[in-house]
Amino acid sequence: MASHFQTGAQTDGTNVPTFKIILVGDGGVGKTTFVKRHLSGEFEKKYIATVGVEVHPLKFHTNRGPIVFNVWDTAGQEKFGGLRDGYYIQGQGAIIMFDVTSRITYKNVANWHRDLVRVCENIPIVLVGNKVDVKDRKVKAKQITFHRKKNLQYYDISAKSNYNFEKPFLWLARKLVGDPNLVFVEAPALAPAEVHIDDTYKAQMEAELQQAQNVALPDEDDDM
Amino acid sequence: MSTAPTKEENEEPQEEQKNEQGDEKTTLEEDYSVPFKPLVTLDEVQVTTGEEEEDVLYKNRAKLFRFDKQGSQWKERGTGDLKILQHKDTKKIRLLMRREKTLKICLNHYVNPSIQLEENVGSDRSWVWNAIDYADEVADECVLAVRFPNSEQAKKFKQAYDDARSALEKITEVSLNSSQEKEKEETQTKKEK
Repeated sequence: MASHFQTGAQTDGTNVPTFKIILVGDGGVGKTTFVKRHLSGEFEKKYIATVGVEVHPLKFHTNRGPIVFNVWDTAGQEKFGGLRDGYYIQGQGAIIMFDVTSRITYKNVANWHRDLVRVCENIPIVLVGNKVDVKDRKVKAKQITFHRKKNLQYYDISAKSNYNFEKPFLWLARKLVGDPNLVFVEAPALAPAEVHIDDTYKAQMEAELQQAQNVALPDEDDDM
Repeated sequence: MSTAPTKEENEEPQEEQKNEQGDEKTTLEEDYSVPFKPLVTLDEVQVTTGEEEEDVLYKNRAKLFRFDKQGSQWKERGTGDLKILQHKDTKKIRLLMRREKTLKICLNHYVNPSIQLEENVGSDRSWVWNAIDYADEVADECVLAVRFPNSEQAKKFKQAYDDARSALEKITEVSLNSSQEKEKEETQTKKEK
């Protein structure tokens, strides 16, 4: 292998460089929904407050090989916060998220940033304003200036419509790998297994199919 | 941790100048971050999609859903190009889909001629089917649905899918016949022995 790893990068045993990414921001801005969108593709509408922290590995395929971001999805709500400084230790990149429909969540970005850089001194940080799909936007683009003062990258995103949803991770990957032209590439599509379906199994599948057929797909008005 | 190449204080006047000059013009995507020393050096790699040995029989943008049996609800799996691919040698046909932008796989299974596309209640641009899917490289026995921008495109997909099924049925018949013949031959040789 010609690739070599300098300080800080972990590997996952298969030699895939792995980075600890911290995801912070007020409760309800969409941190967990954003992570789930990347993990399984789903868009979770229900709000279930994260308690403490949940770590999710997100693998990305790039023109410089695969990389893994271990995303530390932290509790936004103070009462569920837990060992915040402990979560930040050895963070190698961070995403600070706010909700463009809620001014207070943007105001609090300064606090999240302060707490973060107290532990992680010089790491690439992306500021993201989520929910830009909502018509009644409260934090206008012009009002978003915090990233300029603190030298952060900024993106408008929508976990719902997928607008810019890859950008925070793409930017972090470019910084951590040191290639401003790094791009995401096709994940290799391995040959699936060939499966034989016997009659008993088929009956069960048909029952499940019928159940699913009678449940309408969400957002039928969605124009894709 | 590497040392910061530039101090924030040194950087600030420059940044402000830039902001004053082009406040209206600057897009929010502009990079205001300080230079950062990369943590790894990685070589460029040859990208393999895994589709090199296959012909594209069909391709169209679509939105994929997976049925959550416990919650009795549909959950999105991804939006991107849905493809029907046929292997050049084996002639096997699979459904493959990647999410746009991240290009991660959200659908990957062989077409089974006995599995038909069914309608979803209240939609003329969607199809529902059973699958044992390998998008995450492990078997997932699931019910999937796909929705197209309009009913015209949905019809075209069904046509392509049904064409794939009949093509596979023919292949299976041929191989069945040949294997039956083989069996005959084998029993023949056994008898002779």
